[in-house]
Amino acid sequence: MTSHFFLLGTSITRERLSWIEENLKFFFVKLYPETLRHHAKPKDNVFTFLITGDALYSLHEPETQQVWEIILLLPSVKIICDRQELDLRGISVERLKMKYPEQVIDYNSLSINGQTSFWRDVVKIARQHEQPIPSTIGYLHLESPYMHRSSLSAVQCLAAALEVQADIEFYAYLDGVHSGHMSQSPTEFDNIGKGLEDLVELASKRNLRCQMLACSRCAAARGYSTWDDGQGLVISTCTIKPFKIRNINEMIARFDRNHLILGENVASIQLVKKGKPTILAGSDKGNAPPITILITRSPYGTEHAFGALSFAIACAHNGIQTNVIFIEDGVYALTGTHQLSKDTQYFNLQEVINAIAGSENLQLYVFQPSLQQRGIAKNREMTAVLDIGVAELGQLFFNSLKSVQANHQRILFF
Amino acid sequence: MTADKSKIPDFSGFTCTNLMIRLKMLLKNAPTDSVVEIIVRRDQTDMIEIPFSRTGYDVKILKLDNNLFHVTLQKRESGAGS
Repeated sequence: MTSHFFLLGTSITRERLSWIEENLKFFFVKLYPETLRHHAKPKDNVFTFLITGDALYSLHEPETQQVWEIILLLPSVKIICDRQELDLRGISVERLKMKYPEQVIDYNSLSINGQTSFWRDVVKIARQHEQPIPSTIGYLHLESPYMHRSSLSAVQCLAAALEVQADIEFYAYLDGVHSGHMSQSPTEFDNIGKGLEDLVELASKRNLRCQMLACSRCAAARGYSTWDDGQGLVISTCTIKPFKIRNINEMIARFDRNHLILGENVASIQLVKKGKPTILAGSDKGNAPPITILITRSPYGTEHAFGALSFAIACAHNGIQTNVIFIEDGVYALTGTHQLSKDTQYFNLQEVINAIAGSENLQLYVFQPSLQQRGIAKNREMTAVLDIGVAELGQLFFNSLKSVQANHQRILFF
Repeated sequence: MTADKSKIPDFSGFTCTNLMIRLKMLLKNAPTDSVVEIIVRRDQTDMIEIPFSRTGYDVKILKLDNNLFHVTLQKRESGAGS
């Protein structure tokens, strides 16, 4: 039996939890029906949900709690909650815990400093997840500090990784580049810049490697690129010392390796070579873990959708098998006909999608139930984006190409 | 090949992903059999030459100065395209 995990840190809607539930049902009913027939549950957890931040509210809210109960009825599902974040928010998971005492865990392991740490549990699971034990744990960070608590999660996660003797890599993308701004001086919050600098020092003391890469496009847009040699090297006078601003290809080159990459909302699916490759998966080259990017937000209100597509293009360009799935509010990128004024030098998202259609290593999909839920239809001209339902989503998550050598698939929520 | 270099789209200021997007859009909108020309930086030539040669284009690169290059792309007759 394989094991998979979801690490979720932002608010979980009923819609999101429902497609996750459907996905798990697909896994058990279609791929591993024997697990449903046996009375004795498998020894190991098949799915572990690591829940922190605002995602914890979903365990308490009635409409999402109902879906969690269905998920917990499936064999070998476990939820590990971030105790500190539960306490901070005053959330109780007692009701779920009373019903499923062995599956809902609301306490965490002790870390080296003697305090309990959710992130210690996360990295322990991350390390068990991969064989041989990984020497590196990465963290892809998309949000700015202080506005988003996830920056603290990133620092805590990487600190926990150092505790288990893993090298660490921090990838700053979109607003994540702000976490490396110099001279941060918050009065009401942990200093994220200093937290990152402390990680470097801690890694050095432990003789471990620590790398922090920031995307040059995102950094330039936000005013961090003081000097650019035009050949990939960017120097900034306003970032902390360990921060290296580099072309995104340099960051993606790190994704070629087999280590686990965590983030605010990610999943890791172990891959098993089984049966014939699915036609949805396309052709493959290279041994890098395949990536599925879920575009969950509407296209223009934030940079997430464009950032996700740019990221996907860069991954595919670097030989990584990349699936992009428009899901939840992400489907708005595909509806209607988007128009910019004719004299603009910029492009709308539909033009980008049409331009990248047919690129090597890149497949585009739209989750039909998300369109239906919103009462909208895909623009008929967006033929490069294939319609998928629950079954196809399950295939994309759990079936791998025979030629893929990596032992896991990365799933990134944008 | 365009003699007046100032009339060729200058992509040298773009980041790699933007360059890829804009070049693909340019190629999609170009008439069949036409030659697409752009100016790029030295580091950008790497991300054009091999990927586009592999996907059905004849790619020619001409050095203009230390860091600027004139790239032409034309779809091969039997090429799959990108």
